[in-house]
Amino acid sequence: MASFTKRPGELLWFSLLGLGMLVGAAAALMVLIKGHSHMYNVSREIPWGILISTYVFFVVSSTGLCLVSSLGHVFGIEQFELIGRRAILLAIITLLTGFGTIAMEINHPIRMAIYVILSPNFESPIWWMGTLYGIYLMLLIGEFYFLMRNHHKGAMTMGLLGFVAAVTAHSNLGGVFGLLEARPYWHGSFLPLYFILSALVSGGALISIIVYYNYQFRKIALPARYPQFIDTLAKLQALFLMILTFFVTWKIIPGLYGRPPEKFEATMALLTGPMAFNFWFFEVLIGMLIPIGLLLNKKFRTPFGVMLAGVFCTVGIFFMRYDLVLGGQIVPMREGEVNLVGGLLSYSPSLAEYAIVGGALATCMFLYTLAEKVFDLEMKSH
Amino acid sequence: MNNKRFAMVLDTRKCIDCKACTVACKAENHVPLGRENHRNWVTEEHLRGKFPLLGQSYTPGQCMHCGNTPCKRVCPTSATGQNQDGIVTVEEHKCIGCKYCMTACPYDARYYNEEIGAVDKCTFCAHRIYIGRLPACVETCPTKVRVFGDLNDPNSEVSRLLAKYPHRVIKEEMGTKPYLFYLI
Repeated sequence: MASFTKRPGELLWFSLLGLGMLVGAAAALMVLIKGHSHMYNVSREIPWGILISTYVFFVVSSTGLCLVSSLGHVFGIEQFELIGRRAILLAIITLLTGFGTIAMEINHPIRMAIYVILSPNFESPIWWMGTLYGIYLMLLIGEFYFLMRNHHKGAMTMGLLGFVAAVTAHSNLGGVFGLLEARPYWHGSFLPLYFILSALVSGGALISIIVYYNYQFRKIALPARYPQFIDTLAKLQALFLMILTFFVTWKIIPGLYGRPPEKFEATMALLTGPMAFNFWFFEVLIGMLIPIGLLLNKKFRTPFGVMLAGVFCTVGIFFMRYDLVLGGQIVPMREGEVNLVGGLLSYSPSLAEYAIVGGALATCMFLYTLAEKVFDLEMKSH
Repeated sequence: MNNKRFAMVLDTRKCIDCKACTVACKAENHVPLGRENHRNWVTEEHLRGKFPLLGQSYTPGQCMHCGNTPCKRVCPTSATGQNQDGIVTVEEHKCIGCKYCMTACPYDARYYNEEIGAVDKCTFCAHRIYIGRLPACVETCPTKVRVFGDLNDPNSEVSRLLAKYPHRVIKEEMGTKPYLFYLI
C-alpha cells in the first residue's frame, strides 16, 4: 500500500477499475440468478449480441499483439524486441478476458468444457475455435516464460509456434462467421482474411497505448530507444490502416453491386440504416481516417500522437466488431417477421450486457496494470 | 426406424392461417410461452394485387429435417444429431447454449428453451410417430394442409403427392436439401 499512497493517481486508477469490475460482477451474478433471457436483449432472431462482439474484440486484440510482437523475437526486427514481454503478457490477458466474456454469453460453459472433449464435432468451427485458442494460450504462456528468462531461442521457437497458432486460431474465428451459408453478409473467405489484417491494426494500436501510459503513469522519462521504435510502429500502423480501408471498401462493394439478396440489406443497414452512425462516425472517422491522418503526419509521430491514434483505432475497432456481428443477423431469415423496423430486426444491448462488457474491459486493464507492478517487463537490450 | 425417410408435404392453398398447428405443437411439446418460443409457425406472405382484387397466402413452416444439415455441422458438442429416418435431434444435456445452430439454420427453426436449458426445435413429434401416431400439427390441422409420411415407401401418401404434383422447397439455393415439400 505504501506505493499507492505515494501515487494518488494510481489509487484512483485502481479504484475506478475496481468499481467497473464490481459492476460487471454484479451483473454477472444477476445473470446467474435470473437467467440469460431476463437479463440480455439477445433474441431468437439475433442470438449473438454485444458479448460475442466484445469477445471477438478481445481475441482480435490478443492475436494482434502476438503478431506485432513476433516482428521482434520471431522475425528479427530488433526495434520490436523492446515490447516483447508487454505485448505477450497483454495478449494473454486479453485472451483470458475474451474467454470470460464469451462464457457469460454461452448458457452452459461447464457443459461445454465436458462435452467438447467427450462428444467433439470436428466439423464445427466453434469446436476448433476453442481448441485452437486453447493451444494458442499455452504457447503464449510458454513464450512469456522464455521472454522473462531472456531465453532467446526458446522465445523464438515459442513465438514462431505462437504466430502460426495465432493466425490459425484467428482466421478460424473468421470462419466461425464465414462458413455460414445462411448468413450472406458473413459467408465467404473474406472474414478470415479481414480478421487477421484488423488484428494487426488492433495489436499496433494497443502497443502504442501501453508503451505511452506505462511511462507516463510512473512518471518515468521514456528511454531513448522508445521514440525511434514508436516512429517505426507508427509508419507500420499507417500502412496496416491503409490496407484496412481498402479491405472495408471491398467488403462494401460486393454488398451493393447487383443488390445480392440479404447482403445488400445488411450493407445498406451499415451505410444508411440503423448502424450508419456506428459505421461512418466510429468505424470510418474515429477508427481509420483520424488515425491515418495523425500517423502520416510527421509532427504527430511522437509517443503521444501515436498513442492518441492508437486509442482512436481501438475505439473504432470495438465498433467494427459490433457492427460485424450484428450485420450478419439484422436481416430477417423468414418473411412475415413482426416487430421489424424498416424491414430489419433490431437489437440494443441491455444494461446487464453493457455492465458485463464494462466489467470485462476494466478487468483487462486491471490485470495488466497489476502485472506491470508484479513483473519486470522491461526487455534488456542485448 | 431404419429404411424410413420421414418427410412432410404441405398444400399451402389450404392454409387459413388459424395457427392451430402452432398451438397444438406448443401444448404437445411443452414449448414455453412467449412470442419467440415456437417450434412451428405460419408465415403470412405479402399481399398480392390491388384493392379490391387481393390475395394472400400462408406458409406453415418448422424444422425442415434437412438432408444436408447446417445445424448439425456447426454444433461443437454434437448435441445436434440426425436419426437414420432423417429426424434432426437435439440431445439436451449436451447443448451448451452457444446458439451457433440458431445462426446456421437458414429457416430460423430453432429457439433457446430456458425451461429445458437447451436449444429446441421440431422433432416431427418423434414420441408420437414412433408409436404410430401422427405429429400434433398434422393431426390438428382443420384443412389438412400437412401430410406426414415415409418417402422411402413409394405407396405412402407423401410419395404419391410428390409424384403427382409439382412442388418446391424453401431456400433451395442454400443446398440444405429440406424435407418439407410445398405443393405448387
